[in-house]
Amino acid sequence: MQQIIDFIIRKKDVVVYFVLLSLSLGLLFNSNYFHKSKAILFSKSISNYTTENFNYLNEYFRLKEINFKLSEENLFLKNQLEKVNQNISLDSLTNVDFSYKNAKVISNNLSSFKNKIVINKGANHGLKTEMGVISSDGIIGIIDNTTKKYSSVMSILNIETKINAKVKRTEHFGTLEWDGIDTRYLFLNDISETAKIKVGDSIISGGMSLIFPKGINIGVVSKIITQSQTLTASENIVVKNKSFKTNNLDFRENYLNIEVKLHNDMSSLNNVYIIESFNKQEFQKVKQ
Amino acid sequence: MISVYLLILKRFLFFSLLQGLIFNNFDFFDIYDPYVCLVFIITFPIKVNKITFMMISFIFGFTLDLYSNSLGINTVACLSVAFLRSYILNFVFGSFYDPHGIKLIKNYVLESTFSQKFLYITTIILIHHLILFSLEVFSFQFISLILFKTLITSLISLIFCITFIYIMIKNEK
Repeated sequence: MQQIIDFIIRKKDVVVYFVLLSLSLGLLFNSNYFHKSKAILFSKSISNYTTENFNYLNEYFRLKEINFKLSEENLFLKNQLEKVNQNISLDSLTNVDFSYKNAKVISNNLSSFKNKIVINKGANHGLKTEMGVISSDGIIGIIDNTTKKYSSVMSILNIETKINAKVKRTEHFGTLEWDGIDTRYLFLNDISETAKIKVGDSIISGGMSLIFPKGINIGVVSKIITQSQTLTASENIVVKNKSFKTNNLDFRENYLNIEVKLHNDMSSLNNVYIIESFNKQEFQKVKQ
Repeated sequence: MISVYLLILKRFLFFSLLQGLIFNNFDFFDIYDPYVCLVFIITFPIKVNKITFMMISFIFGFTLDLYSNSLGINTVACLSVAFLRSYILNFVFGSFYDPHGIKLIKNYVLESTFSQKFLYITTIILIHHLILFSLEVFSFQFISLILFKTLITSLISLIFCITFIYIMIKNEK
């Protein structure tokens, strides 16, 4: 402290100079609008630059919170959308076909032929078997088992999963299956050869089983395999994977096999939505 | 000592009024005003305490600002020149400069070489004008304009300042 006082006394003229300078600069900036606006602009540009860069860092630490909020909001909006879709009939509250719940993926597997995904909600949250699971980009799978807190989802990358889907442009129905090789591609079978399907057509969910609502985006047609090519394709599969027989891929005559590129990146799933269908039991009764 | 302050007060009133009423409206080539007010700072008695000197320069600049409707610009320029004057004196006159101020301005004028006098006055005028015009324009965009105006105005101010200083010295005799 003594040294600081000594320093100030030794440099007292400098101190007085700066005091008077700041006083006069204060006068300058306060009485001249041009200088004032210039000074404000300059200080703003500096502060904006630093706060912007700091916000990048800050946002990174708040990502978890932001993600949570976003998924909550999405859930709300999806429910709202479903209500809006049903609003054409006057009874708006009770006549909702589907409702959505959100959940987080805990474990995700891609390496086996019967991939399972585990999500962090279970029977306590109202989840049951045969509920559909989607992400913001498309279909993920169907719940096949629930505990109190967790549920396991049969992924679409499971050779036993069969999902009803259709081509958006031509409305042709088919069954979506996985061949067990490439996680980016599924196969849409059971479409007759007369259907004029082109590469690039969108594939959406069919809505026949009432697990998924109609019109969820799944992927895009990337390749169409005709009957003659089918044999070589299946042979290739056998060569690649000797232990795995391709009998689950039904390469039937007079049917197209369409390779579908998924919108979803199945290797990086985080937030998912569970679809609850209210009319499924009724629907099944009619079917029987 | 009281006589010194009386002298300062006299000069203060004289130069502030001279600058504010006459030379601010001089308009050499329409835009260049000579800053004769700098004679007040150049010939300020050296034996006066530096802090007092800076205070008086601050008030002097403020008075000039009142006349030119540019609050703060002249104040900063005069104050900075007052602060820098002891360093300039030390730099220009070297061992001839005594900080305690036994020598009078007359001694400095008569006993030093021409280049020393010239350098001292020119440095103070250049610094003052540079600060003044930079603050007035307050933009890096017009830096060439600032430098040009500083040079021309300094030249005019220099002529007037030297004239005034010689008149003062003659009167002191």
